[in-house]
Order: sequence, then structure tokens, then C-alpha cells
Amino acid sequence: MHEYAFFLGCIAPNRYPGCEASAIKTSEKVGIKLLPLKGASCCPAPGAFGSIDLNVWYAMAARNIVLAEEMKKDITLICNGCYKSIYEVNHILKHNDELRDGVNEVLKEIDMEYKGSIDVYHLAELYYDEKICGVRKIRESVTTPLTGAKIAVHYGCHLMKPKKERHFGDTENPMWLEELVEAMGAETVQYRNKMQCCGAGGGVRGYDIVHALDITNEKMINMREAGADAITEVCPFCQLQFDRGQIEIKEKFGDVYNIPVLHYNELLGLAQGMSPQDLALDLHAIDCSPFLEKVL
Amino acid sequence: MAENSEARIGVFLCHCGTNIAGSMSIDEVVDYAKTLPYVAHADQYQYMCSTPGQKKIADAIKEHNLTGIVVAACSPRLHEPTFRTATKEGGLNPFRFEMANIREQNAWVHMHGMHDESTAKAKDQVRIAVAKAALLEDLIPKSVPVEHAAMVVGAGVGGMQAALDLASAGIKTYLIEAQPTIGGRMSQLDKTFPTLDCSQCILTPKMVDVGRHPNIELLTYHEVEKVEGYIGNFDITIRKKARGVLTPTEATAKGIVGGGCNGCGDCSGVCPVIKPNPFEMGMAPRKAIYIYHAQVMPLIYTVDFDACVKCGLCVEACGEKKAIDLEMVDEFRQVKVGTVVLATGFDLIPIEEKKEWGYKRFENVINSLEFERLICASGPTGGHLVRPSDGKTPKAVGIVLCAGSRDNTGGVAKAYCSRFCCMYSLKHAHQMYEKIPGCKVYLFYMDIRSFGKAYEEFYYRIQNEGAKFIRGRVANILEDSDTKNLHVFAEDTLLGRPVDIEVDLVILAAATEPKDGANVVRKKFGVSASQDGWMLEAHPKLNPCGTTTAGVFLAGVCQGPKDIPDTVAQAEGAASAASIPIHMGEVELEPYFAMCMEELCAGCGMCVNLCPYSALALVEKDGRTVMQVTEAKCKGCGTCGGFCPGGAIKMQHFTTPQIVNQIHQFLTGGE
Repeated sequence: MHEYAFFLGCIAPNRYPGCEASAIKTSEKVGIKLLPLKGASCCPAPGAFGSIDLNVWYAMAARNIVLAEEMKKDITLICNGCYKSIYEVNHILKHNDELRDGVNEVLKEIDMEYKGSIDVYHLAELYYDEKICGVRKIRESVTTPLTGAKIAVHYGCHLMKPKKERHFGDTENPMWLEELVEAMGAETVQYRNKMQCCGAGGGVRGYDIVHALDITNEKMINMREAGADAITEVCPFCQLQFDRGQIEIKEKFGDVYNIPVLHYNELLGLAQGMSPQDLALDLHAIDCSPFLEKVL
Repeated sequence: MAENSEARIGVFLCHCGTNIAGSMSIDEVVDYAKTLPYVAHADQYQYMCSTPGQKKIADAIKEHNLTGIVVAACSPRLHEPTFRTATKEGGLNPFRFEMANIREQNAWVHMHGMHDESTAKAKDQVRIAVAKAALLEDLIPKSVPVEHAAMVVGAGVGGMQAALDLASAGIKTYLIEAQPTIGGRMSQLDKTFPTLDCSQCILTPKMVDVGRHPNIELLTYHEVEKVEGYIGNFDITIRKKARGVLTPTEATAKGIVGGGCNGCGDCSGVCPVIKPNPFEMGMAPRKAIYIYHAQVMPLIYTVDFDACVKCGLCVEACGEKKAIDLEMVDEFRQVKVGTVVLATGFDLIPIEEKKEWGYKRFENVINSLEFERLICASGPTGGHLVRPSDGKTPKAVGIVLCAGSRDNTGGVAKAYCSRFCCMYSLKHAHQMYEKIPGCKVYLFYMDIRSFGKAYEEFYYRIQNEGAKFIRGRVANILEDSDTKNLHVFAEDTLLGRPVDIEVDLVILAAATEPKDGANVVRKKFGVSASQDGWMLEAHPKLNPCGTTTAGVFLAGVCQGPKDIPDTVAQAEGAASAASIPIHMGEVELEPYFAMCMEELCAGCGMCVNLCPYSALALVEKDGRTVMQVTEAKCKGCGTCGGFCPGGAIKMQHFTTPQIVNQIHQFLTGGE
């Protein structure tokens, strides 16, 4: 068992509890044990905090990292926004002594010190990593193959970019998430402008919802044209934007899609035999039942 | 400690304007120099390299009866020869001179104001130089004869020009080309900017001249295997790659009268193996026995042994000419030349690695060399520009400039400007307006660099023809899966808004990089590369054709991106530079070679194996085995001298007493 400190984030536990449940349960079946990161705060959100005061962003993220350093465990997480904050701040502080000293000055007030002794991973990247899990293990863990399902994959911006501070290789047309989805027996569809933003990130959803939805709408058109039965992603905030966003698009623009949106962990949960109730799919804004009838 | 009570040293400090004098107190260093042992005279001057500066040295030698000279100034790479000459003019052996580099290694790293530390360091540098100068000895340079032959590696337009110039100057010239034909990149082009000459039409006369010139030995399908020797006497082993086909000359030599390849093409007609033709950027087929195109030089077919199934049909078709030998193997031969010109050219970067533009993912995204073949009348489509997905004529075309050039994002991208893409892209726009009525061409650019003679005028001309110039880098390109049309997304930075333009075809003006394999050739000749990967010239401004290896010169794009006129100009420069030592007949070698002190040599032979230049050998002398140095081969690296357990090897100009005295003077701080 590979053990990691599990950084929950805010949107998963508050809006999509199925993401949290499925992360803990699916990872255990492929040899990854998620340990609660007690006392963790908001990551904090990179758009909302990072755009306004970087020092607050560094310090709060560093505090979360220190909690894991005290556990002597690497962090894993299931949200691209959290990844941006926790991974990137860890990366920056490891390479900038001056900044690290500044952050430690702040952390001293709560008797903490950032040491730079752990690494941060997205759970999806651990699933793909042959040394930890790998596609084969995912395939072997499937009990209910999602045969016949056509899935549109969304990577999300904060996971992949900026390219030079990430380590995923090709960021313009990556295919590894597709491989992870196809391991469940589903088909993936390639659609126009796959790497486009969901529309929500960078504080756009909060600041200018119409603009955000316009971007989402374009993405929805492209995914529908490719014949997607469902969308999968690795970020609860992208999930919120696609799921809740479809209701808002209907209200604001009148366009109707009704394409269910499932986090990769939720999809893997289904494929590993978790029930829709366990995955709290009834809390999704877009009804998942037509998709469930097709695959289950 | 070695002493030389006879030594009388003159020290001269150069201000180099404010280059040196702006960072340290020259007066203080001169006063200090006067206190040093052996120093009989110390002086300073604004520019020591000037005529009055040099005269100071010559005069002081006579006036003060000096035995050695120290000039504290710039790098010896710049002015050591100048001051050696001045030393000689004063009546001393030129090797009685030592330089202290107080500019590059002192003033320039402590710029912006006077520094006591710079002055202190200059004192150290002068003291150390004096320590060596006191022990310098007279040395006589060796002259070696220069082979009356040259080699040019690469037979594109640059290599061909260099070879023609050398050959016309009466020098036997070996022109080596790895491909089966000469002509290089230029032969793939349709037209040339800004005059719009047909590229082949102006190139083929040169190709014919090369083929006919009595002083040129054309060696196509050959590669440089191994390089030994030095300026004047390079021994170069060349690999004659198995071509599978005999030339008429080779056939005659084998006693096949009237045989050998006459280029009839009967073999190719019957060959059952089809491969993509790299000359056509893979867009047209060739057989396993092939020529690249109709105007190849020499017109001799070549067997691609990686593809050939050895069915023997071609041998049968060739008949009595008996030109085809499917069992041919690589052969090696050695040639001796005095000087070498490298002209290895360029490739386009693998632009598919810039994923955002979709090359090799979207059928209608092509690179600029593919465009050249598609618009060329002798190309695979007979000069009809078509888009690869459906063979239709494009009506709207996007050209992405700086595709991987001037790009700091890493990976395959290059930080440098590839220099000719702006101009050929303007030409591409013109060619489309000429051939496709109503066609719209969009050029996405950062800056249009129309730098050459009549280039800016050409830019105006293309503007007037209606080309749309959009100043902005292309963020990404998306394909419409039904029509295979492409959406080009960019920010128009003049309008300050994003644009999405639908086109039928996109041409990526991909960045250039050194030719695959150029690095291997470069290293064989001991030529360095600059940080960007291109071969390194001896001096970026004052010696752009030379390299740090004496006798090896550069021509064309192998030294950095350049267009055809610049390539030809540099090739002529390189040929001229390469012909000088040959016409002089002999070159002087620096007398820094190792010397065996035979009375100390035990003949152990350890040094012989260590020498990287095979310059040492054991010989019998007066009944003893001793080491002997072939002076012309020795580079003075000091490997043998440092190792010799008996201290029997003297490194001239870097003798043990000289170096030890320098170290001693440094460590004792002159105390």
C-alpha cells in the first residue's frame, strides 16, 4: 500500500461528496491508501487568493503542506485548483530560498516551519504512474466495465499549465487521461479544442458568470458534436462548471445539453461496483440516470 | 627556485581607453611593477596595440637592453600576435613575450567604477607574468608544407560555390556529399526571393560546372569517416557508401567495356519496391533503386539497401551495362588535403513537437519545404497547389511565421531568428496570388524582417498584392473534422483582440536547426558549436568563416541561418581563406611542442599511449630506447609532460621552471 496525505479541498466535500467517497474507495482497490490530512484549510483557491495577495496564497498553502510534512507523507489531491495551489507553492518554495524564509517568518507565529520535505501529486497522475498504480491495475480493478459509454475527457488548465512548471510532457494534446478512462471499458471521444478552459477558473466564474458560461457553452457544443454520453474530469470546480453550468446556460442562453458530468473517481467508482447512491450522484445538477441505464 | 640573474623585463600597461583604466589605477600598477625583481622598465599607454604603443615596446628593448616583455592588456587571443611582432621588431625572439589579461579577466568582470580589488588583482597578474617572462626562452617556429588540395563537406549551394572557387584557383578539391546528388536544399525550392528566379534554373548551371570542373573530384554518397592531422596535412578517411550502382568510370576500371550507369532508368521501371521520396518531402514515391529528381548530378542511380529486396529485376533490366551490383559494400579511402570547408546545411525542426499547431495531426497543416514542393512545377503535383486532405485548391491559406523560431518555451523551439522564413513566406504569398485567383493569404507574424537588398521593396509588393498581415503569434490551430478546414487562433496585437480565421491550408514556417549528423562531422574536425547548436566561427565579426581549428572553415547555414546570397558570400569567403595556406605553400606551427630530454628518458613508453594525437613514438638512439616527438603532430597539450615519471619531457613555452615560478610568485604575493 502506498500511503498519502489526502488533501480534500472545499468543493469536493461540500458540493460533490461522491468525489471524496470515490477517491478514498477506488484508490484503496489499486493499492493507494489515503490518510486524512487533519487540520487542513482551503488550499487556498489560486484565482481568488493568488490574484489578490500572493503572500497569503503562499503562506496558507505552505501551512497545508507543513501538516503533511509533519505526517512525513506526500500529498495527493483530487482537484486541479488545489493542485495549482499546493503543488505550485511547494515547487516555488523549494526553489526560492528568499520566499521560503518569508513564508517561514509567517508560519513561525503558529509554531510551524516549511521544510520542503514532501512532494505533491494529483491522484489521477498516481493512477497513471506505473510505479504506483498504472493503467493495468486500474483495468484489473474494474468489475462493471462501462462498455458502450462514450466519454469526453476534460483535463483542466491548472493541472497541465504552465507547462514548464509541470511534468506531464505534451500539454497541447495529451492522451493519458483517455487511457485511464478506456481502462474501464469505456470509449473516449476526441472533440474540438479539447484543451480549452471549462470557463470557471481564474475567478472568472465569480467575476463574470456570463463570460464564463459562454466559454463553457462552446465546450459543451464541441463535446455534444463528438457524441459524448458523459463528461469526465479530474477537478470538482470544472465539474461544477459543466454540471451546474448546464442549468445556468439553459437559463441564460436557452441551450440544453443534459450531458452528465462525473469526476474520474466517480466514474471509476461505478466501474468498480459502487452504487450511484454511494457516489451521491443524485446530488449532481444534471440527471445521471440515462447514462447509468446505458452503462450499468 | 629557478633564477635568471640576466633577465631584464619591460612591463607595459594598456588603458584600452577606459575599458581597463576605468576600473583600476594604472599608475599604481605601473609603480608596483617597477618594484618587482627583474623589471628594468615599466610604462603605460592609452592603446598599447596602436602604432605608437608598439613602438614603445621596440624602443624600450633597445634603450633598456631588455630580455623579455610583459604587456598587461586584453586577451592574448586578440593581440598576442601584435605584441610578438613588436617584440621581434625590437630585436628579441618573439616568444620572449608574455601577456597578462587584465581586461577580460579583470576589468570587464569588475566594471562600473574604480575598484581597489581590480588594482590588486592586476598587480598579481603582472607579477605572475613577469615571473614567467624572466624564464622565457628563444623558440623557433616550425614550418610545414601544405598539401595542394582542399576538401569541401556538403554540396548544397554553399559547398558547391566554395568548391568551384577553390578549384578555379587551381586547387584540387574533393567535394563530399552524403546524398546521392548535389544541390542541397536550394534544389528543392521553387523560386527564390526577391527576384523570383526559378531556383533550379539558377542552380543547375552551377551543378553542371561542379560536375565538369577538372579540379573537382565529386564524391556523392560519401561521408567523412575519420580525420587525422592538422592544417596543411589533414589525412581524411572517407566512406564511399555502397551505392549498388557503378559509374561508367568504375565499370571501365572493372573491365566492363561501355558499361556503367547511363541514367536510363530501366532499373527503376521494373523495381517492385516503393518508398516515399525524401526529396519530395515524402509526398511522392520513389523506388528502391532511384534518383531524387530529373536534374540530379551525377545522373547515377542509387540502391536503397534498407528497402531493396534483392529480387534482381533491375540487374536483368540493366543488361549488358552491368551497372548494378547488389552485393556492393561500403569502401574506404584516405585523401590528404591542406584545408577544409564545412558546409553541412540545415534541417527544419520537427515542428510536430509544437503540438498546438497540429502538424502531422491535421492533414492540411504543412511545413514550408512541403509547400515548396507542392508549388514547384517539377514537384509531385506539377505545381498545382492542393491541400493534402482532398486534393482541392485552397482558397484561403494561413502562414505561421516564427514557427518555433524566436521562441523561448524550450523543447524543439529555438530562441534564435531563422532569418529567411519571413522572406520565403512573403514569396509563398506571392506564388499563391499568382497561381490561384481569388486566394486569400493570411500571414501571422511577430515582425517582418526584410533585411536584405531589395527585400523591403518585395515586402511592399506583397502587401500591395493583397496579403493580410496579422501581427500576433498563433496560439493554436483547430481542425473542423467535417471539412478538414482549419481555424487559426491568434491575438491581433495591433487591434488588441483575439482572431479566429478559417483557412483551407496552413503553412508552418518552421525554424531551422543544424543538419542531422552535422554534430558528428563537426566533432571529427574539432570544431566547436555555439550554444544554439550551430558551428562556432573563430570570431563573430572579424573571422566569420574560420574556426578554432586551424585550416577548417565554415560556409553557409552550418554556421547559422542565412539566405542564399549570404550563404554564397560566406562560401566565397571561406574558399578564399582556405586557399591562402595552400597558395602560401607552407604554414608556421606554434613551437609549443613537447621535447624529449633524452638523457633523462628511460624509454618506458607510458607517454606514447597517453598522447591523444599519436605524436609520440619510441626509437632506438645510441643503443638506448628513447621517446621521439613528431613536432608537427604535437598540439602541446602537456599530457605527456605532466605524466612523465622521470621529468624527461619539456613542454616548450610552458616549462616546469616557468610554471613553478609563476605559482611561487602568486602564492608568496611577491614577498
